[in-house]
Amino acid sequence: MANEVEEKVVKAVSEVNLKEDFQSSGVADILSELDNSLIGLEPVKTRIKETASLLLVDKAREKLGLVSESPTLHMSFSGNPGTGKTTVALKIADLLHRLGYVRKGHLVSVTRDDLVGQYIGHTAPKTKEVLKKAMGGVLFIDEAYYLYRPENERDYGQEAIEILLQVMENNRDDLVVVLAGYKDKMDKFFESNPGFRSRVAHHIDFPDYSNDELLEIAEVMVAGMNYKFNKGSIKAMAEYIELRRKQPHFANARSIRNAIDRARLRQANRVFNNSDGPIGANFLSQIEDVDIRQSRVFSGGIDK
Amino acid sequence: MRVTQGTFSFLPDFTDQQIHEQVQYCIDNGWALSIEHTDDPHPRNTYWEMWGHPMFDNPDAAAIVFELNECRKVYGSRYIKIIAFDPSPGWESIRLSFIVNRPSEEPGFKLSRTEIKGRNIQYSITPYSSDKPQGSRYK
Amino acid sequence: MPDGDKKLDAKARYSAGVLEYKKMGYWEPDYSPKDTDVIALFRITPQDGVDPIEAAAAVAGESSTATWTVVWTDRLTAAEKYRAKAYRVDPTPNNPNEYFAYIAYELDLFEPGSIANLTASIIGNVFGFKPLKALRLEDMRLPVAYVKTFQGPATGIVVERERLNCYGRPLLGATVKPKLGLSGRNYGRVVYEALKGGLDFTKDDENINSQPFMHWRDRFLYCMEAVNRASAATGEIKGTYLNVTAGTMEEMYKRAEFAKELGSVIVMIDLVIGYTAIQSMAKWARDNDMILHLHRAGHSTYTRQKTHGVSFRVIAKWMRLAGVDHIHAGTVVGKLEGDPATTKGYYDICREEHNPVSLETGLFFDQDWASLNKMMPVASGGIHAGQMHQLIHYLGEDVVLQFGGGTIGHPQGIAAGATANRVALEAMVYARNAGKDYLAEGPTILAEAAKTCTPLREALDIWKDVTFDYASTDAPDFVPTTSVS
Repeated sequence: MANEVEEKVVKAVSEVNLKEDFQSSGVADILSELDNSLIGLEPVKTRIKETASLLLVDKAREKLGLVSESPTLHMSFSGNPGTGKTTVALKIADLLHRLGYVRKGHLVSVTRDDLVGQYIGHTAPKTKEVLKKAMGGVLFIDEAYYLYRPENERDYGQEAIEILLQVMENNRDDLVVVLAGYKDKMDKFFESNPGFRSRVAHHIDFPDYSNDELLEIAEVMVAGMNYKFNKGSIKAMAEYIELRRKQPHFANARSIRNAIDRARLRQANRVFNNSDGPIGANFLSQIEDVDIRQSRVFSGGIDK
Repeated sequence: MRVTQGTFSFLPDFTDQQIHEQVQYCIDNGWALSIEHTDDPHPRNTYWEMWGHPMFDNPDAAAIVFELNECRKVYGSRYIKIIAFDPSPGWESIRLSFIVNRPSEEPGFKLSRTEIKGRNIQYSITPYSSDKPQGSRYK
Repeated sequence: MPDGDKKLDAKARYSAGVLEYKKMGYWEPDYSPKDTDVIALFRITPQDGVDPIEAAAAVAGESSTATWTVVWTDRLTAAEKYRAKAYRVDPTPNNPNEYFAYIAYELDLFEPGSIANLTASIIGNVFGFKPLKALRLEDMRLPVAYVKTFQGPATGIVVERERLNCYGRPLLGATVKPKLGLSGRNYGRVVYEALKGGLDFTKDDENINSQPFMHWRDRFLYCMEAVNRASAATGEIKGTYLNVTAGTMEEMYKRAEFAKELGSVIVMIDLVIGYTAIQSMAKWARDNDMILHLHRAGHSTYTRQKTHGVSFRVIAKWMRLAGVDHIHAGTVVGKLEGDPATTKGYYDICREEHNPVSLETGLFFDQDWASLNKMMPVASGGIHAGQMHQLIHYLGEDVVLQFGGGTIGHPQGIAAGATANRVALEAMVYARNAGKDYLAEGPTILAEAAKTCTPLREALDIWKDVTFDYASTDAPDFVPTTSVS
């Protein structure tokens, strides 16, 4: 009798159905959402799919008793500002949650100032506070390299790094850390911090968006705010993107969002000045090419 | 003897995993968790020392277990308890409180009697350990 | 409205003679109760041939301003205001001869902060009224304005827990048995063993006062020796409900003062001492940092039968106003009366800040408790450790579970019986918090806990087949689809 039961148990976990797990865990949904909602980023998407498959297979192997140790999940995202690192981190948190690698799946996004204190004894509690908030989810540290300031020997960043490394190692089941920043600075950071290098298993590069991709992003953003482009304003936007890219402080999608926010301001001003009688929804949602072309970028100035 | 204050003192001591489960139940109810320690387990010692602030914003119990282990590193020879506070109107007090660490030896309490008028007796309870100064009561 | 029910003009209304109550203004079908009205719901069984509306109007009349004949002195008063108004009469869903009558009372009819005055009106005269076969007070809506004139529970659930340093689980108690005959010294032994074994409280029974076999001072002295010994043995705060019920208020105060002097955290009274005495003791308890336990001795004489008397839910409401901290409110699974839904209604009255209308649990009115403290319900009578999952499921966390026989009757002794109950309780709360389906898995959880606790294993073995499964005499009458407008 006891043997029978045991046999059944063994049998139940001697096979796994990966395709079924893929669907039922909701991983499939997230990946297709990633595909549909994010424009461009093909190499990133590929890397994430690979990682997801690996983790799914790992879970399956764990079920069959083929692996015992939990995999290292800490990641680094390198790329220029506005290339979708935070957005992808949110999806990753959800993905890891569905796969059963983190319990809650929330994202806590911080920078150096949230971790490092101003005086002796300030840093450790600050860093621990942040780590505790992130437990059960993903801690996203933007511009992680600023934690490390070799030029200042009194810098408290080193203390934060030590606590961070300790928790990344000892509490692997409790949180996943994503370090993010510019590619070249991240590379240098990992070179001078072997502790991080050995604890971060997945490096993902975020390429800049092409002009066409940015235009597509602009259209999605505008539609998301219930505004509309017309032929003229689309053309203006395309020209804006070309000009803006050549200027300093270009931040990919973030620059586009800022440009649209300014265009909305100008549009509001225009609508207000030109409206004497009643106006309709159409008029209120239309972004005209003048709303974009008034930007300083077109006269050789700089939009930050 | 075994001090049996707290919700679960009659059960075998909890593992960290069991503590995690109970703490997660509290967090999911919207309660704030606090870690407190003492070397004076008198039943009416209301104010144990606080290990930091109560934790209001930690969605996962791992954060509290992490702090508990930090506290154990320093005060592992004392009583440590986890307390859950419920701020909802009409309660605004503790919902759960359980001991998660205790000294290796618990000498217990001395009961003193003072005879006063009639056959009336005044009782007082003193932890044997409190004969020593604070901080050197348990090894 | 039939012609005969119409309001009369002043001349017709006040002509000398006898008039139907409904014509005297005690039936007002268009009346919509004010927020400040006291509302009572009566179950009326009229004598054969008596019109239910006239019966309801008569109840309204007899419980407020009316007498059997017209009196001209009514016209010296704002009679319209002081008349109670029956405004709704419904046939009961299950009994064709019984009716629910809703009656609204003007707030000025009642003295602030006096249960005696409230009850003298509502249940004073009217229950012996001849045209009715039977009459039962089912429920009351007490307006916030009136609730605020009462002290409410002296301590309340939250502060009681803070004082006892006991959170997150039901409290455990036991009534000392045998209820009569033990000497003070032997009595204290039971208290010590039970408290040392793991209970929070022990309890005097309702009829333990001061008798030849044990006078009250002896009991108090030995009990407090036991309580303090048990505290020192466990590091916990312990208590024993010292029953201060006596023949006069003076004597009760004297006994309560002695309990306080000895350092007891709790004293006890019986319901039979009367509403005014209860309010006085509640005030004393508030003034002296004392928890006040009420044993509902005698209530079944008027609460149990469905057609006549006062529902216990009304008694529970009065007691929350009067200010006791503990009240026996049923066990569902034990030996005493208790339909699960009805009992839930009682528990909600004790513990909630606001009771919404809930016909299935017998609550006919929306009741706001205006931040009055909460009462701790006590479950006592024929319960044992093997029912722990059901007890927690039905009764929740803020309750005193009293295992009298289930502690003292343990084969290994009283302390072992107490330990069995405490381990069963903690194991069940632990399982519930850990997300287990503890009601379904209850027996497994208990069996698991019993592996490391011999006393629990023995308790489960000896009482495993004990249940009290009888039809309830007081289940709520409602049709699930009925909506209350």
